[in-house]
Amino acid sequence: MTEQERGEVQIEAESDIAAARRVVREVATKVGFGVTETVRIVTAASELGRNVHKYAGKGTMHWRLLNNGAKTGLELRFEDQGPGIADLDEALKEGHSTGGGLGMGLPGAKRLMDEMEIRTWKGEGTTVTITKWRRT
Amino acid sequence: MSESISVLKVRDVLLVTMPGDPDDATVSALQTRTLEAMEQHDVKGLILDLTKVEILDSYFARTVAETAQMVTLMGGETIIAGMRPSVAITATELGVTLGTTKTVLSVDLALNLAERQSKSSPAKSKRAAR
Repeated sequence: MTEQERGEVQIEAESDIAAARRVVREVATKVGFGVTETVRIVTAASELGRNVHKYAGKGTMHWRLLNNGAKTGLELRFEDQGPGIADLDEALKEGHSTGGGLGMGLPGAKRLMDEMEIRTWKGEGTTVTITKWRRT
Repeated sequence: MSESISVLKVRDVLLVTMPGDPDDATVSALQTRTLEAMEQHDVKGLILDLTKVEILDSYFARTVAETAQMVTLMGGETIIAGMRPSVAITATELGVTLGTTKTVLSVDLALNLAERQSKSSPAKSKRAAR
């Protein structure tokens, strides 16, 4: 895998959420995702980027292209050193929010993507990894 | 750099056009700019043009729904126009709803609808209601 096939965006200010969306849109289009699939990925990235900003203040979105020989995909990993998610089961429930939002960020992002993995450590941070595979 | 919101008075309504991928500051400016313009121009309603919008996440959707509610409180009606298919599909999968706000396919249809509404119910005009 070459260096061009991965990258990162720092999420520190509110405007960085939009910056992350632009990068994801560009990469997803380059990978060859269709219009609707690209919008799904960009929307999921927006929800998770906003979570990073809202709950942890700052963090990083890492992106990388995946190719396992048979299929191509895009992986996005959102890392922060925030407070962590106290109750992961609750956080994945529709309409649950501790941040004054609508509570659709995590469950919504999960529906829009093919895979989602959450690792969280109380007081240390959270990593959310989402993946979308290109239909061939 | 964020793109800007365009606010135009067309006939009896306010036509507010959102940029393709607005950042949070631009989205929240939608509310204040729309409500201020509603008052300044003494219009009967609002057409929110989403033709250019490429993504509607939960924050953007909530702001749109809230703005429509506020316009209702001010005595106006909101019509949402021109949502792209990819955006409609994604917003639905995400779980986003826009309440009971009227939606139409294009700004053209929205203008027709607004005109019909103002003809059939002139009493809904802001001035007449006072």
